Amino acid sequence: MIGRFRQLLGSLRPEFYHRTSEHLNPYFTFTDYRKIWGVGIFLLAVTALLPLMVVTVIYYQLIQKSVDSELILRTERVASNARRAVTFFLEERLNALRFTVNEIDYGRLTNPDDFAELLRNLKLGFGGLTDLSVISHAGIQVAYAGPFHLEGKDYSKQAWFAECQNCNFYVSEIFRGYRDLPHIIIAVKSFRPDGTHFILRATLETERLIQTLSSYKTGEHADIFLASRSGIMQTPSKFYGDLFEKMALPVPDYSPRTQTVMAADGQGRPIITGYAFISTQIADTPFILMVTKQKAGMMGVWLELRSKINWLVGFSIMVIIIVIAITCTFMVNKLYLADKAKAEAMAVMEQNNQLASIGQLAAGVAHEINNPLALINETAGYVKDLFVIKEQYSKDDELLENIDYILEAVARCGTITRQLLGFSRKFDVKIQRVNLNEVISDVLVFHNKEAEYRNVNVFVDISKDIPEIETDRGKLQQVLLNLVSNAFQAVDNGCNLDITALPEGVNKVSITICDNGCGMPEENLSKIFEPFFTTKERGKGTGLGLTITYGLVKKLHGNISVKSRENEGTEFIITLPIHLQEEMRKDENSFGR
Amino acid sequence: MKQYNLLIVDDEQRFADMLARRLNLRGCNCEVCYSGREALNILKQKKMHLILLDLYLPDIYGTEVLTRIRKNDERTPVIIVTGHGTEKDRRECMQRGAYAFMHKPVGIDELMTILAEIGEKSA
Repeated sequence: MIGRFRQLLGSLRPEFYHRTSEHLNPYFTFTDYRKIWGVGIFLLAVTALLPLMVVTVIYYQLIQKSVDSELILRTERVASNARRAVTFFLEERLNALRFTVNEIDYGRLTNPDDFAELLRNLKLGFGGLTDLSVISHAGIQVAYAGPFHLEGKDYSKQAWFAECQNCNFYVSEIFRGYRDLPHIIIAVKSFRPDGTHFILRATLETERLIQTLSSYKTGEHADIFLASRSGIMQTPSKFYGDLFEKMALPVPDYSPRTQTVMAADGQGRPIITGYAFISTQIADTPFILMVTKQKAGMMGVWLELRSKINWLVGFSIMVIIIVIAITCTFMVNKLYLADKAKAEAMAVMEQNNQLASIGQLAAGVAHEINNPLALINETAGYVKDLFVIKEQYSKDDELLENIDYILEAVARCGTITRQLLGFSRKFDVKIQRVNLNEVISDVLVFHNKEAEYRNVNVFVDISKDIPEIETDRGKLQQVLLNLVSNAFQAVDNGCNLDITALPEGVNKVSITICDNGCGMPEENLSKIFEPFFTTKERGKGTGLGLTITYGLVKKLHGNISVKSRENEGTEFIITLPIHLQEEMRKDENSFGR
Repeated sequence: MKQYNLLIVDDEQRFADMLARRLNLRGCNCEVCYSGREALNILKQKKMHLILLDLYLPDIYGTEVLTRIRKNDERTPVIIVTGHGTEKDRRECMQRGAYAFMHKPVGIDELMTILAEIGEKSA
């Protein structure tokens, strides 16, 4: 499974990723295509993605800020409204007490029936009152209306009594007292006509206050409660402590106005806290109104939106990277292929140049050898003539034999120099119309017997689209004969030899001679057209066969190339123009000849 | 066999001499000269059956010698014998009326065959 996956991955890899043409390396413009590919993808990705990221971050921050300020505004509004309600609640009751002491004289207040009547009326008008009591300037409770029996109780030592005497009004914290019920005490000081003073005190239930506060609570992540200035919970809270416990939030700094701050609570959750120090027009109170909203909960909608945006941005990034990767791969591969084509052309050109210079050298050598060779020839010939013609030497067979050796050697040298010259010199080219089928048949006639004897299968496939071509029949025949002879030497008995011809474009034909014989190693491929290069045994080949073939193909204005794999076979491809005359004319014009 | 008058023009003196000796042994009557001018002078005085002409001569290039020979005499066959001949030379010489273009070293038998051929034609 993993093997198959790797195979699939391998086939998807672009050509430059596993370049095989090591021998072309010196001709490449760029060496490390993988690096170009990597750097290209990285730079393009950074250029494309950076603005997207920056814009996304800026957008997030803007949204965050706007959501924060919206949250702060809403919290502040709730805190402000709740403060007004709590202030009104206390102020209304304080005013009721003040009205009572101003309106009703001390005598009536201390009359138990009238006092009980007053409590009833106040309960009806305002509600939430538990009891009423009148306390003399000495701190003794002189009248009481309510469910308990507290007449005669002495308050002179209590702190609230001293404070009320000083400030004329008093609002207590919420406390349990000996009734063991949470309640608030409010008290008003008043003067009697004789100059002494007394205090009218009322006990308020906290139920109503808690209900009023609850009505301002918004959502499950919000909390609203009262705390004392010393940080004791005055009403129960959902998150920050029960009644009379220590508040789980720090006590805020005093401010006469409603304030909102952003901070983290005891558990590290970011919260927005709105607070107000409750103060009525008549008296200051010990209460701080606290409104909290947990940011995480309040930002649910925004977080959902952000998650959608994140998905969208993530998807976009993925698409961008895929497109960049595909584009980069395509472009770098194109670049690589173009570079490879150039490198191949340069390699071929260099080989041609090499062959041309070797050819020139060979021609020079051949020319220089020819003159002394001619002299040896004539001298030896003359000596032989003397022996043959003059009677006195004619019987000396050994001398004759030796001279024949000289002449034979000269003849061999002559053959070699002629072949060398054949490579560089242009023989006359006799152009005629040639039928490829016939030429190939003629060539194969030479090998018919051998093919039969060695059981070599020769397949000839000449495309019907190939017209008669204008070329030099003799040279073409020699070229094909050389290549077919080579192929016959390369294949074992029972192997195949394919000769195919196809039109190439409008003006060319290509002839392929392909065998499945012994092939040759890659390092030999670039040398096979060089003169004197041979893989045959010493003395069996001159190493000029393919050199001459190359020269002949060039003379026919064609090209010859070779592909080979050791033990798999060799393929020679010859490309020839259909109209040689035209090509030669073009050539002459371009060289100004 | 008819005796042929031959002129061998080659700056390689020993080659020319040797070739002359061998042809003489085969019944020819060879004259040898080593430059183009000499050759033209001899040709003014004597009629030849065949001229063997080198291309790289010290004074006048072989093709030019051939042209000058052809000015006065259109018939005498001229065989170019050279060690340096290029295809261009060959074409030029054939255009200017050479009978054959041969590369050194030249086979004596080949030469004799050509001579016999010329003899047949002129007979």
